[in-house]
Amino acid sequence: MIFEPVSLNISHVSCERDDRLLFQNLSFALGSGDILRVAGPNGAGKTTLLRMIAGLFEVQDGVITIDQEPLSERRHQVLYIGHKPQVSRDLTVIDNLKFLTGFDEPIVKQALIDVGLRGYHDSLVKELSQGQGRRCALARLWCSEAPIWILDEPYTALDVTMVETLDRKINGHVAQGGLCLFTTHQLPQSLNFETLELGRVD
Amino acid sequence: MSWRWFHQWGSPRWFYERAGRWQLICGWLALILLVVGSLWGLGFAPVDYQQGNSYRIIYLHVPVAFLAQAMYAAMAVCAVVLFVWKMKLADVAMQAIAVTGLAFTVLSLVSGAVWGKPTWGTYWVWDARLTSMLILGFLYLGLIGLRAAIQDPDQAGKACGILVLVGVVNLPIIKYSVEWWNTLHQPASLKLTEKPTMPASMWMPLLVNILGYYIAAAYLVLGSMRAIVIGRERRASWVKELVGRA
Amino acid sequence: MSIERRMLARELKLAAARPGDIFKPMWFLMLVISMVPLALSPDSVLLADIGSAMIWVATLLALLLNTEHLFQSDFSDGVLEQWLFLDRPLAWLVGLKLIVHWLFHVVPLICITPIAGLMLSVPTDVLIALLMTLVVATPALTCFSGLGAALTLGSSRSGILGVLVMMPLFVPVVILAAGVLIRAMDGSEILPLMALLGAFSLVAATLVPIAVSAAIRLNIGGSN
Repeated sequence: MIFEPVSLNISHVSCERDDRLLFQNLSFALGSGDILRVAGPNGAGKTTLLRMIAGLFEVQDGVITIDQEPLSERRHQVLYIGHKPQVSRDLTVIDNLKFLTGFDEPIVKQALIDVGLRGYHDSLVKELSQGQGRRCALARLWCSEAPIWILDEPYTALDVTMVETLDRKINGHVAQGGLCLFTTHQLPQSLNFETLELGRVD
Repeated sequence: MSWRWFHQWGSPRWFYERAGRWQLICGWLALILLVVGSLWGLGFAPVDYQQGNSYRIIYLHVPVAFLAQAMYAAMAVCAVVLFVWKMKLADVAMQAIAVTGLAFTVLSLVSGAVWGKPTWGTYWVWDARLTSMLILGFLYLGLIGLRAAIQDPDQAGKACGILVLVGVVNLPIIKYSVEWWNTLHQPASLKLTEKPTMPASMWMPLLVNILGYYIAAAYLVLGSMRAIVIGRERRASWVKELVGRA
Repeated sequence: MSIERRMLARELKLAAARPGDIFKPMWFLMLVISMVPLALSPDSVLLADIGSAMIWVATLLALLLNTEHLFQSDFSDGVLEQWLFLDRPLAWLVGLKLIVHWLFHVVPLICITPIAGLMLSVPTDVLIALLMTLVVATPALTCFSGLGAALTLGSSRSGILGVLVMMPLFVPVVILAAGVLIRAMDGSEILPLMALLGAFSLVAATLVPIAVSAAIRLNIGGSN
């Protein structure tokens, strides 16, 4: 599907956490087709910034808008994949995805095939390996209608094949007019991205 | 009241410096009022025809019980200020009042027990007021426990704020239901806290004591708040300077 | 699929996947009730006197212990934060979760109280009043316990803090229900009090989820 043009605007945002000033007066804008990597040392506030943009962490100072509207109005346009597994261990893979995505079985099953979990749809999540569990969470990317993707360390626990698959997916997404923000400690090889360095308070 | 005055309250440092002075004033005022009030009430007020001299405990029990409840309401005000104006000092006040409020609640229960013994022959009685006071004690404990359980001070403050607001709405409901419960089981009521008409020579010292304990509570809360502020702002330069000087 | 259907489907499957969560509180209730004659006396007249109150307290405890971890696994799995992206107010979703929890975990508990009533020689008309008060009051109690669960989400090793924090707020409900039971034992009219209990429960069930959602949002914001 082709997305409508979308813009994400971060304006003069500051963040203080645990008595530390993580970033101050941060401003940048992203539009359709952009990929941004948020980089910085551990504890620099990457996860906090991503969660702020996702609308999970309250913006203390400054404004974040999507197409000039506040985040709360546009939260269905955001897909956030964070550190946590995001799947219930006691449920099957397919039940988890049907709840998270709202799509029916055929679409969800196809997404699972795309992430290499063919045949695992009836397995309980607690029976999967960590990498497989991670793929299960990422399968949402294959059945999402949200233009804005916020991915916090999506490459964790993935093997080489899956990393390539993910890169292809992200590229495909932004080609269709979406945008993607991510953090990682492993430099992606096939993505064309800008970098935002945190860790210096301007 | 200018907005500038209001916004100064947003500064912990400003508060710390001013509060020291206020605390001193409150301390002396409270001391004078309490000494006068207590001596008057304990020594000079007339003897009660029904309870003899043991009624005099009301000069401690009544002010302290009243304050324990008033302080919960004060915490609710702090919670509103915290959520609406995002003033951290309101959270500091909430934290300080919680502990002081618990102390006053315990004092109220103990003084109630002391009153109970000569009057009813037993230290504890499930009277409506005492029972409500007990539940208030549990509410205070819950707040203190919740704050201790959450690491991040801002988060802890907001969580306690939610709890206080839910609690303050329920508090009148709890009080009424406990009073109703009491009437279910004790139709005749010589309640522990029955207030027959008091002559001026009795309620005047009571008034002095109420005022005295009020200001004493303010003294304790201010002191507690200053300690909390220093703790929270320990990494600020003005605190390091202060500690360095001491 | 609508969001409500998705949530219901998921809660149903979760309840089926964790049957222990339904049986353990029932088991707990029976154990506690069995302790009462052991701690008191087997005299059925004495037991009948305090029986309905004891069943109420035991049910209350079982409900509390069960609801304490209502949101915990969804929170640590990261599923709870995904609720914030759904196109519904969080308070509404929380309300749904609480209703379903009540249906699957509290109602079974209420269903075995007649057995407990039998064991404590509670007369039938009192037992009926007991069941009615439980059905009407437990929704409010579930909501309040949910608040305790939500407030203590982020804190590690908080133990039963969620329970301790909420119990004082149960007092009006407990007193009202006790009032109904006393009237039932006397043989007098219980309907007006039941109506009051019902009204309180309804108001609580409507307003408390708002506080619960505020607490959940707070703890999601504080986590990584």
